[in-house]
Amino acid sequence: MRFYKAIASVSVAVIGFAVHLDAQNLASPRLPAEAWKLESKGQGADAHTQLQTAAEGAPNDPLALQAYAEFLAHHRNPAAREAYEKLLQLLGRNDSSPSERAKVARRLVELDLIAGDRGSAETHLEAFRTSGGSGLSLPAAVTPPQSSFIEITGPLRSFARMAAISPDIAPEAVLGALAHNVTLNGYAAGHGGEALEPTEYLKLVMRYLTQARELEKLAGPEKLLQVPNCESAVTGDLLRILGYRMRGGCGSDLALETVNPSRAFLTIDSGFPLSELEAALRTNRPFSLDYHPARVPILYTPDYWPAAASGQKPVEFIDYFLNEPTVCRLYSAITALDPDTAEQMRKDLPVGKAKVYAHVLDFFGSMFDLRDGKAVVPGGARAEKAWADMVGVAPDKGAAFFERLVEKDDGWMASYYDSLARINGPVQAYLTDPERIKRFYVALRGRVTSPGPARPVFRANADLVLLTTRLALDANGKPHLPGGLDLWKNLFAGKMEAKYDQRLAKAAPGWKDSEEVVEAMFGLSRKMVENQPLKIFMALTDLERNRAQPLETNTIEMLARSYKELGAQYSLFAETPAISDATMLAYLAAAHGITQIRDVGLRADAAGTMQALAGFWQVFVRQRSIQPNAADAALSSVLQGFAKIQSERDVFDAGKMGVAKLLEAASAPATGSAQNHMMDLLAGTKATSEGALSDAHTQMLQDMTRVFEAQRLVSLDTIFTLADRLEAAAGGQKLDSATAIRLAGRITEIQLPRTALSTRERNESSMGYWTDRHIESERKMNLRSAIDKAGADPQKLRDIRGALAPVLRDTLVGFIYVHYAPPGAQVLFTNPAFVRSHDFFGSSSHPSTWLATEVTGSGWPANAGGRLTGSLSALPYALADAEQNFLIPTREQALIWGDLVPQMILSAVIPRWWNVTPTQLHWIGLNMAYAESTLARSALDAAERRRVVAVLDHYMPPSRLKRVERLLADGDVRRAADNVVPSEMFLVARELAPDDHDSPLAGELHRIAAEAPEEVSAQAISHTFGTPKPLLSTSYEPALLNLRTFPTLLGYSSRILAESWESNLLFYAALADEVHMRPDELNLRVPEWTQETVEHIFATHLDDWPALLRSLRLVGDDVLQKARKQLIAQNQKAE
Amino acid sequence: MGLIFLLVVLAMAQDRPTFRVKVDLVVLSFTITDNKGHYINGLQPKDFRILEDGIPQKLSSFAEGNKPPLEVAEDGSLRPMAISEQGKLEGRLDSVLGTNVFVLFDTSNYMYRGFVYASDAIADFVRGLDRADSVAVYTYSRNLTRAASLTKERNEAVSGLRSAVAGDDSALYNCLLLTLRDAARVPGRKVVIVFSNGPDNASMVAPDDVRAVAEDEGIPIYVISTNEVTKDPISSNVFKRISTGTGGKSYFAKTWQKQVEAFEAIREDLGNSYTVTYYPQPNPNEGFRKVTVDVLSDIGKKYRVQARPGYRPHTGF
Repeated sequence: MRFYKAIASVSVAVIGFAVHLDAQNLASPRLPAEAWKLESKGQGADAHTQLQTAAEGAPNDPLALQAYAEFLAHHRNPAAREAYEKLLQLLGRNDSSPSERAKVARRLVELDLIAGDRGSAETHLEAFRTSGGSGLSLPAAVTPPQSSFIEITGPLRSFARMAAISPDIAPEAVLGALAHNVTLNGYAAGHGGEALEPTEYLKLVMRYLTQARELEKLAGPEKLLQVPNCESAVTGDLLRILGYRMRGGCGSDLALETVNPSRAFLTIDSGFPLSELEAALRTNRPFSLDYHPARVPILYTPDYWPAAASGQKPVEFIDYFLNEPTVCRLYSAITALDPDTAEQMRKDLPVGKAKVYAHVLDFFGSMFDLRDGKAVVPGGARAEKAWADMVGVAPDKGAAFFERLVEKDDGWMASYYDSLARINGPVQAYLTDPERIKRFYVALRGRVTSPGPARPVFRANADLVLLTTRLALDANGKPHLPGGLDLWKNLFAGKMEAKYDQRLAKAAPGWKDSEEVVEAMFGLSRKMVENQPLKIFMALTDLERNRAQPLETNTIEMLARSYKELGAQYSLFAETPAISDATMLAYLAAAHGITQIRDVGLRADAAGTMQALAGFWQVFVRQRSIQPNAADAALSSVLQGFAKIQSERDVFDAGKMGVAKLLEAASAPATGSAQNHMMDLLAGTKATSEGALSDAHTQMLQDMTRVFEAQRLVSLDTIFTLADRLEAAAGGQKLDSATAIRLAGRITEIQLPRTALSTRERNESSMGYWTDRHIESERKMNLRSAIDKAGADPQKLRDIRGALAPVLRDTLVGFIYVHYAPPGAQVLFTNPAFVRSHDFFGSSSHPSTWLATEVTGSGWPANAGGRLTGSLSALPYALADAEQNFLIPTREQALIWGDLVPQMILSAVIPRWWNVTPTQLHWIGLNMAYAESTLARSALDAAERRRVVAVLDHYMPPSRLKRVERLLADGDVRRAADNVVPSEMFLVARELAPDDHDSPLAGELHRIAAEAPEEVSAQAISHTFGTPKPLLSTSYEPALLNLRTFPTLLGYSSRILAESWESNLLFYAALADEVHMRPDELNLRVPEWTQETVEHIFATHLDDWPALLRSLRLVGDDVLQKARKQLIAQNQKAE
Repeated sequence: MGLIFLLVVLAMAQDRPTFRVKVDLVVLSFTITDNKGHYINGLQPKDFRILEDGIPQKLSSFAEGNKPPLEVAEDGSLRPMAISEQGKLEGRLDSVLGTNVFVLFDTSNYMYRGFVYASDAIADFVRGLDRADSVAVYTYSRNLTRAASLTKERNEAVSGLRSAVAGDDSALYNCLLLTLRDAARVPGRKVVIVFSNGPDNASMVAPDDVRAVAEDEGIPIYVISTNEVTKDPISSNVFKRISTGTGGKSYFAKTWQKQVEAFEAIREDLGNSYTVTYYPQPNPNEGFRKVTVDVLSDIGKKYRVQARPGYRPHTGF
């Protein structure tokens, strides 16, 4: 927010162009300020009503009309056009200046274009010109270029169902989606060897086409399947093709039943309207079905493609396509290319040759960019010569450069280009330095290039993209090496861990510069194995990224050494830059100490208790309940209790003390219920301006309490009160036995669920998997008896505290589960032992006490349901992962998008919005409105368009960027905006608004930035509306990283793809602003909207981001519609 | 729903006051058969005694098969249940007539082979339901799909059924849980019929936890497995456990004919069952309450009562 800070001291009182208008009413000029006063207090709806009333009450007051119109436009309300229209007409009637009319007309042109109303835009543009306006032009409407088509037999919907293609995608995207699906799912290696064989998926598509052709033949030249009545001869023919026959005579007793299961399966699976046919036959009414073939646009022309199959018998294109996996892959690759590159390659690269490199093009072609006939290369002009040397063809040769690029070294060069093209700024400049670029390339390529990086159907390795994306530079322009060079030399030389690479181990002692370490990282990133040095490098870089002072060398060394065992815990440190070296080391020491405990139960109790307390600390610091300057001391004091755990009593004491320390650090009242204090703090900051709980906070507390109770956890108050009484008795006071026994009864009488299966059944079916020692021991626990037996023996009374340690662990761990409970929380509500079944141990061969949380045991009816294992470090993700399949897709055939949804859920659960101000919410909405308006202006002004494209170039792939550019040049703003995701919209505004001194929306942004610089600073907005990125930034701290969306990658890296999507919260924030929602309501609505968004997604494949965007907009439209209806109803009621 | 949070609006006859109460109402359905398996019909409230943990309960309503429910007066006599005009408008009359049948159809990869035959059998079953019944058709694989929401229109239900798409993993117990949650929201009597091949490779919840939900909500689960009982003993045992524990039954029907027979048996069960409601008498037990149905007229104790064994009262979640 450099610019906004610079102008913060300037008094900006201009709202739009209000000051230019001649005030006719003294009250009117104050309207916007009065409205803002209301809005900034969270009373946006009141502001709306006030302005609407003023405008309706004074229809001849231009200031009142303008204030209302601007308010609507700032909130992207479609009624803004009508309001501006009234203003324009009024200005035409009175003596206003032409320039005033021109400004209003211009605003209307923009709003018309955003609404997709070209006719009105042309009319208002004329009004703009007749008022003396100039410099804007709307290009003539263009007819889309004539596409080539192919025909696919039968309705498109049926084919799409069989081919697993979303019914929502545009016809021109169908073949690309099919090609993608065939590439991913259509073929598998045969049993006997190398040859690929069609999968069941593809066989069914092919069988369907055969059936469809039979139906088409029956439909005749009119392409209409007609059954005049039940007794018609056609009926039998149709049913035969469909695989059915009639049971019972024509009439109400008739039923269709399967006679040929293969055909019947195709009939049902393709969505043939069988029930309509059946109903028609039962009622003896005619049945008809349009059976025209689907016409689908094809890239280039159909002639281009079968050329590759010369010599074969002519077949329909679709058959040829399905039978040629390489052609599908090439087709899929070309759909992702920028259109200029694609066209040039079509001309230059024979299809036979292109097929050979289809896999390289498919993975790495999407960043190829041709501009003015030249290849755009990462690093720009400075790096062109280096690229020419490496590739063998100069970038100014255009497509020839890319053709040579894909042919090189099995794809390594292309992958290098791709990863460098995805980044911007200083790191790209560093990596593309003419000397370094070659050096790092040589390291990446290695000596043996086969197998290349594009051989599988998914990218096998995310390391290269991660390395280039997450590399950090020091102030001297050199790569940041956490811990210094010697540490990395030792690491690679095998002095700290096993050697990673013999060649690097040999070279490492001689390294003299950080560049050599980065070179080694490039060398390792080509390996398709666990790349631990890179993971350590990234984790430690992230850990130091936001710290005021770098960590000490010995701390870094300890962190590097402990990475394998404790690396999953580092997100705790990365999230809080204020944490000291000493506290980090204390955490590592405590963790190592706990790992050494031999008693499995004690170890699990100690680890669970400590991790839960660290989890509270993390949440409290994130939610600012613990101030950053108190964060380190708070964690340090908690860890003291875990320095030397020897018994369950130690665990209990450490847990109890930890709770007290954390409550104190979070400024909870010193008296009262610890249970309530903890719940309040976990729910979030509770105070409203009046000091009372807000409705949203109360609702959240109720929801959390329901989960806590569903898990049958024991209240902290019960546990602590009992422990205190026992301690007092051990100290010589008289024990109030009745109370102690009552409290103990509360604990032991909590009804733990019955075991699912008998021991015999479990042993027979679960093959030793079953491990619920913790629950079993709690079932056997009899505190009342223990208290009775202890009598007045101080030692025995104190020992009972130890027996409470597992119970306290459950409660503390349960709190963390409750805090991160995903929307719906079906598992938590249904399995009352879910928290208790958390496995902190793993197995003796694979201890998982400190590893990332994982979901295990799902899909195993013989056990007690799925459970979570490992530490609590990745609990939010694991809970979301466990819960995602309880969401119910709203569309038939749609499934929950497993790679994406957990990240979406945790982004809705981790951030809390108690401290968000109405100004911040409006800031997002206003930025979105500004970005839309800027797109509209760029359609009218070529210079503006260049500025917009320059910004989007940093975030969009070339193919989409050029599509947007072309649509804007054609004046089709609405479709252009449909292709820009919300995070990109926000970035357009963020980068262009500060220098815009013309647009009224920019003026409003400047005003807010000047009034509330802290609230709308880049840092504050990033923290408030960003998403957690545990893999991309080793931290759950919500943040906006403004990255390009990552490509689909295998394994854990598919999560990275989801983490790079930052649009949801920005979209929801803008939506909330549009409907004048109170910011704290986001805490309830965002999880709800996220669930709806997930349930509406119908994606074809893992890269189908437009499907997510469609779903977001669908949910947004629904919310807007309901809110506007509600507003109308309220107004009617008020009248 | 065994324990429903029901807004009961009872508009009595003109000389009686209209009152509204918000209470926990227990709905209990059961069948009675003799020692040859024949249904015993025609019994009246005075022929039963319902006990919860041994505490006798006072019945509020009584229904046999798909006949309209009758109100049980203080003196044990029966009279038509009065429902206000508003209640009729809101469909409350419909909700207490007939059974709300939720069919949960396995469309996972495991059902690939038998998918179309199963679809036929379910279609027949749906068409053959009593006119008073409502039916919903849900399908599942890894996720649940509400193919046809609860409706009295048979064609709608069959149309939803015929729109099902096969494929993907099987999360039977997850989806059964979601079906039960939906069913629990519907007033009146309801059952869930699971039509499955058996295996589950994706659920997060255990069968017994799902059974507990059905038990507490008073929703009998009927299971038709298209597998042989001995082929997958774990699934078979689980099926038996969740059905008998909820007052339903399980059938192992590999062939289409057997599947049709199973559906016929379920339809018979629905048509020959008794449904009573009552407000539980004071009972300190907040855990599992055992429910017993005594047939007073069965002097020789030859009858067999098929009912859920009990339930846990709601604790607010």
